[in-house]
Amino acid sequence: MRNNIVILGLAAVSALAQTPGRKIDFPVDSPVTAVSSDWSETRATPRGGAYVLDVHAVLSLRNSSQKRIRGVMLAVQAQEVTPGGKGSVSVPSLDVAPGEAFPLRIDVPLLCPLGAGGPMVEVKLDGVLFDDLTFYGSDRLNSRRRMTVWELEARRDRKYFKTLLETAGNDGLQKEILSSIARQADRPSTGVQMVRGRSTNTDPEREVQFAFLHMPDSPVDPTSGTARIAGNEARAPHINVQNRSERAVKHLELGWIVKDQQGREFLAASIPSDVSLAPGKSSLVTQDTALRFSERTQVDSMTGFVSSAEYADGSYWIPTRGELNDPKLRGVVAPSPEEQRLLQIYRKKGLSGLIEELKKF
Amino acid sequence: MNGHAKETDLALYASGDVSLWQRAAIHLHVRQCERCREVVAEFRADRGALRDASAGLPEGVDWARLSAEMTANIRVGLEAGECVAPRRLRKAIPASIPERWRPVALASAVAAMLTVMLVGAWWLNVPAQDTQALNRAMHSIWHGRSAMSDERVAVIEASSEGIELRKNGGSLGVSQDAARLMTVSVSTQGSASAHYVDQDTGQVTITSVYAQ
Repeated sequence: MRNNIVILGLAAVSALAQTPGRKIDFPVDSPVTAVSSDWSETRATPRGGAYVLDVHAVLSLRNSSQKRIRGVMLAVQAQEVTPGGKGSVSVPSLDVAPGEAFPLRIDVPLLCPLGAGGPMVEVKLDGVLFDDLTFYGSDRLNSRRRMTVWELEARRDRKYFKTLLETAGNDGLQKEILSSIARQADRPSTGVQMVRGRSTNTDPEREVQFAFLHMPDSPVDPTSGTARIAGNEARAPHINVQNRSERAVKHLELGWIVKDQQGREFLAASIPSDVSLAPGKSSLVTQDTALRFSERTQVDSMTGFVSSAEYADGSYWIPTRGELNDPKLRGVVAPSPEEQRLLQIYRKKGLSGLIEELKKF
Repeated sequence: MNGHAKETDLALYASGDVSLWQRAAIHLHVRQCERCREVVAEFRADRGALRDASAGLPEGVDWARLSAEMTANIRVGLEAGECVAPRRLRKAIPASIPERWRPVALASAVAAMLTVMLVGAWWLNVPAQDTQALNRAMHSIWHGRSAMSDERVAVIEASSEGIELRKNGGSLGVSQDAARLMTVSVSTQGSASAHYVDQDTGQVTITSVYAQ
């Protein structure tokens, strides 16, 4: 009898879980085309008034353009107006020649409302970045900016490792790679929750000043700033920035480092902001956002730094490896996606595999 | 097929979960056997009712209140369960209760026990993410905070486990089993990203969720 109940329960569950409809919607003139797709592990399960879509798919995409592709971002959505219904999957650090195919794995959970004609997963192309830094796509998720920064970081890091190989030889490159792996393992991390809007913490608040790391080559300099701190929560950052370059800046991203009362430092969040900064002018960057850390992480102090900037003419500034070698940043800033890729190649194929990879570029 | 088909086979047939040849065999039998046909019809009706019930939860469920009621029911049920445990049956109905009230006390205890069973069954079958949301609510209540004050707005969480978006008691977490999680990051504009590296090829995949 018990077995019958279990079988009936399993049958009921399998009956409720179903394979959702899916749609790959690329524009007619898209520079990538879907060659094949495997959605066999994707499931939709009704929960309350919505379907939970566990999207697990592997797409095979072909570069149908005449240029080499450096990055792709896909928007994965169930229904755009549904909270929690949107995700994206990006693959940076690609080097796909015209006509070549490459895999892209999608693992994104989504929600969509019941009664909307059945569960449906829709994959759209948000952007493609080429090796000449030109871009194709709707850019609704700011893929152009994100992928361009990743590509610039990739070029910087490859150049750094190649230079190191030339000047310090195999031993010097290996030493730096091992040091990077060790930093990655030691990099402190803590759970952080981000809430937009009001804070719910009832602890007494205090206003804390930001300290800033000034990068010599940065076009924008943070001059002063504060945030409200209450126990393990920090909110409402206000940071004054000044454009010290000769070109107008339209977007910048600040890194927000938090130090707790045990002296541990970690990168809490990034603060992106659209600005209109003419040369020499100042502006205030604010975010109505609260960050909450684990209960044992009592915020003691904060540090800010400029992590990237976009000029009005569409060109970018990112920190140099030398600027990132600041002792405070070395321990907290994560390696770029390209450095993560190169470290994995080293782990898998050793130094010779890494050198071979570097020589491809 | 002699006699009647097994009940489990009929249940699986009703939900379309039998192999092709089994389906054909059962289909032939059901066409000729009125009793089995009725059983299949009952299973299909039950399945429809189950689906309707699961779809019928209102969107604006007050999880805080629900969790408080559940907690209270569980406590009452556990206490009642102690009362109706067979070995303690005599002690469960104290001698001080008049004889004429004993059936009422026993019925109350049985009703509480059924409540425990129903709540337990529901709890075991509810998706893990909902259970976690209720746990957070109960944790908040225990610590004297407003139960779901954060959950009404979107909360984005990044940790060594991955990234998660929560809203209205619902939760969406991202994880990739086949790849190594390298970094997670939060943007104050309302998104979180997780970097995964394929252990064979080194290809980096960055998955993001957006609070709208």
